[in-house]
Amino acid sequence: MNFFESITSIIQKHSGAFLQASVTTISITAISLVIATIIGLVFAFFKVSNITFLKKLADFYIFIVRGLPLIVLIMFLYYGISSVIVLNDFTAGAIALGIHSGAYLAEIFRGAIQSIDKGQTEAARSLGMSSSLTMRSIILPQAFKRAIPALGNQFIIGLKDSSLVAYIAVTELFSRALYASAENYMPFETYLVVGLYYLALVFIFTLILNKIEKRLDVGSVKTGVFKGSVIQK
Amino acid sequence: MIKVNNLKKKFGDLEVLKDINIQINEKEVVVVIGPSGSGKSTFLRCLNNLEEITSGDVYINDINLSGHKVNINEIRADVGMVFQQFNLFPHKTVLENITLAPIKVRKKTKQEAEEKAYKLLEKVGLVNKADAYPDSLSGGQKQRIAIARALAMDPKIMLFDEPTSALDPEMVGEVLSVMKDLAREGMTMVVVTHEMGFAREVGDRVVFMDEGYIIEEASPVTLFTSPKHERTTAFLSKVL
Repeated sequence: MNFFESITSIIQKHSGAFLQASVTTISITAISLVIATIIGLVFAFFKVSNITFLKKLADFYIFIVRGLPLIVLIMFLYYGISSVIVLNDFTAGAIALGIHSGAYLAEIFRGAIQSIDKGQTEAARSLGMSSSLTMRSIILPQAFKRAIPALGNQFIIGLKDSSLVAYIAVTELFSRALYASAENYMPFETYLVVGLYYLALVFIFTLILNKIEKRLDVGSVKTGVFKGSVIQK
Repeated sequence: MIKVNNLKKKFGDLEVLKDINIQINEKEVVVVIGPSGSGKSTFLRCLNNLEEITSGDVYINDINLSGHKVNINEIRADVGMVFQQFNLFPHKTVLENITLAPIKVRKKTKQEAEEKAYKLLEKVGLVNKADAYPDSLSGGQKQRIAIARALAMDPKIMLFDEPTSALDPEMVGEVLSVMKDLAREGMTMVVVTHEMGFAREVGDRVVFMDEGYIIEEASPVTLFTSPKHERTTAFLSKVL
């Protein structure tokens, strides 16, 4: 069997399983990113709050998560937590991935929030708006927009990192590749095919993110309607 | 209307306001002048608690800002503020900039808020910009919108923090003229500015600050023509 025949045979034999596993990869990524976004926002608020305890708590969380290899975190949560509460592999995996990305998202959100000019807060507060209303209607919409490129990056990293949950028996794309290559003794060709699947997934992800980025890009320069109108004295 | 007793403000070890005492009456237009670093902006920002005061008392309509049960948001809703850098909300249209706080803080309906907003836009001559975003406006237009935004809350007092300092010279006039109209209508105003012409023409009282103290206060005519203090004379000789 030459190289192309091997590739064709792998695709013929495994494409169904790979496709199904891709769906698992996408769903575990999506769920983990929702968890990560919530965690990230909460800890970003902690970090910009005036309460020292909350700040320290956020620092501690970020220190731990950034300091541990993701695979260690996944194994720890799977074996550690599941001895207390029963979690299925998918849930444990999604939570571990979420906790991991959450730490990075927290820093991204914090940076974005702090990058918004202080004058925005002052203007809102001077109008009698409460600090939470100011955060919700003035700071976050602007910060979120500013965070989009970095968020996109982190989301793509999240998608690729999801391959590590193969080690806790989630049947996602990478675990399928492990099975397949053990079965067909063609690891090189198998991982090549799976690599293409990941590339395709990331490509789709990127397209979606670009679309969101474009859609959210309102309010920056919306002069079209009034172009050429005279400056009034 | 505004009463300030022994106001002190420190940033770390740096004492910016050393001992400020002043009373400002209803419908009075007080213009604060002084060299940069004299504490005039800090003083203004203490009047709506944007800067937390270190010691002393600030009363707005007999309510002590540093009192325990004071809801600072309620007080701020009654005290409009206009900033040097405009600080319009870039992600909202002009109309949304003006109606946001009336709807969310004053609990007005969208319709009420928009009616009021259009009246104010007419007043500042920018009705045709209602649906524009701040990015598309000139500096002078932005500042007039910022004034309209503050006025939309029906404030009893308006604070102006160097409202024309960030503007190109040809746009200063349009902003000052809006402020003059406002003074004529009887708004209580505290204005930090370098526009001596405005101080002379519109001010009921001019306050000269230097190094964290109010050095001298008087009617514009008195202060500009016969200042009592050397420091006032020295400052005026540089700016007039």
